[in-house]
Amino acid sequence: MTDPIEGRTSQPPTRGRLLAIVGGGFAAAAAITVFAILPAEFHIDPTGVGTATGLMQLSAGPSAEAATPPAAAGGGAPAAARFYPATFRTDTIDIPLKGGGADGSELEYKVHMTAGQTLVYSWTVDAPKDEFYVDFHSEQRPSTKENVISHKKDIMTSDHGSLVAPFEGIHGWYLQNQAEKPVTVHLKIAGYYDLLPGGKP
Amino acid sequence: MRRLHAMAAVLGLMTLALAGPALAHNISGKDAAFVASSAGAHIGPFLYLGAKHMVTGYDHLLFILGVVFFLYRLKHVALYVTMFSLGHSITLLAGVLGDIHVNAYLIDAIIGLSVAYKAFDNLDGFRTLFGVQPDTRLVVLVFGLFHGLGLATKLQELHLSHRGLLANLISFNVGVEIGQLIALSLMLGLMLMWRKARGFANQAVLANIVILTAGFVLMQYQLVGYFTHRGA
Repeated sequence: MTDPIEGRTSQPPTRGRLLAIVGGGFAAAAAITVFAILPAEFHIDPTGVGTATGLMQLSAGPSAEAATPPAAAGGGAPAAARFYPATFRTDTIDIPLKGGGADGSELEYKVHMTAGQTLVYSWTVDAPKDEFYVDFHSEQRPSTKENVISHKKDIMTSDHGSLVAPFEGIHGWYLQNQAEKPVTVHLKIAGYYDLLPGGKP
Repeated sequence: MRRLHAMAAVLGLMTLALAGPALAHNISGKDAAFVASSAGAHIGPFLYLGAKHMVTGYDHLLFILGVVFFLYRLKHVALYVTMFSLGHSITLLAGVLGDIHVNAYLIDAIIGLSVAYKAFDNLDGFRTLFGVQPDTRLVVLVFGLFHGLGLATKLQELHLSHRGLLANLISFNVGVEIGQLIALSLMLGLMLMWRKARGFANQAVLANIVILTAGFVLMQYQLVGYFTHRGA
C-alpha cells in the first residue's frame, strides 16, 4: 500500500480468478433474481421456490383489504345489487375556479353519504391538459389522517366513475386549477347522497 | 477492534446490496402527491426531495461508492464526483425541460450496469482481461448522463406542473448534489477508517465482488421489469 494504484485495487485478481468472479457474480445475481425478485416483485415463479417461501404473496396484486368492496349493510358478501327506500337524486353543478395560485383556484366539493350509499359521477373541466389536479376521497368526521381514504389522485381534465361509500362521512373531490386562466368544472352526480350545506361553492 | 470495524463495514455493504432491490426507488406516497399538486415555485420542498432521492437511492449510492472506493486523494474524489454531477445534471435538466421520454426500466438497467462496470474496473478487470484501460473520467461522465436520465424519468412520472418548473427543477438538482455530498462524506469517512484496517486489500476485493453482484442484480431486476412491464 506504499504506492496504491489510484482508482483501482492494488491486488488485482488473476485472469482466471477474475473470470470466476464475473461469472460467479452474474450467476449469484441471476439466482437472486430468479428465486427472490421474480416471485416477490413480478409474481413469476419458474422454480416453485416463490410459492414454497411465501414470496409470491408479496406480489399477489392489490391487497385484499383494498380490493374488497365495502360489505353490504348487515355484513356478509358485498351486494351486487343494492336497494334504497326512495328515488335517487341527480345534480348538475358548475364549479368556477380562479386562475392558478390565486385564492379560489382550489376547493373541496363534497357530499354526505352513509355507509353503503351509492353515487355515479362524471365531470369535465375546460382546463389545459396537465394543469388540473384532483383528489377524489372519502373522509370521516372529525377528519384525522387515519380516516381519509383517497380513491384517486392525479392530473386530469375529466373523470367518470361510481362510489359506494365505505363509511358514513363526506365524499368528494379536491379540485385544484394550476392553469393561469380561470376554469369551470362541470360535475354531474346521481344516486343517494345529500348535498352539504355550503357544499355549493 | 479494527477487524470488527472492517467486518461491520463489509456486512453493512452486503446488507445495502441485498436489501436494495426489495425497495422500490421512486418518489412515492405523500411526496408524489405533493409534487403532483404543486404549481409554482417551491424551492425548499424540491431541494429536500432531491436530497432525499439521492440519499435513499441505493443505485446512485453504489455507483458513487464504486467510483470513490480506491480514490486516495481528495482532488481525485472532487474530479470524478464533478464528472458524475456534470453528467447527471445535463440530462436531468435537458430530459425534463426538453420533455424527452425514455424507458425508465432500460435506464435503470443501464444504471445497474454502471454499478457492475465500476466494480469490475476496481478489480482492474479491463487491464487483466483486455489489456486496455478505458478513461475512467469519460466513463463516469457518460454513466452520469444515464443516471441523470433516471432522475428525469422519476420526476416525469409525477406530471410536474409547468408553472415554476425551472425553479423547481433546479432546486431538485441542487438537492441531489447536496444529498450526494452528504452520502459522499459518510462514505469517505468510513472508507478512511476501513483502509487503515489490516486486511483491507483482501476485503476490498471481496467488497467489489459484492458490488459487482449487486449491480448485476439491479440490472436483471430492471430488465425483467422492462420485459414484463409490471412491478416497481
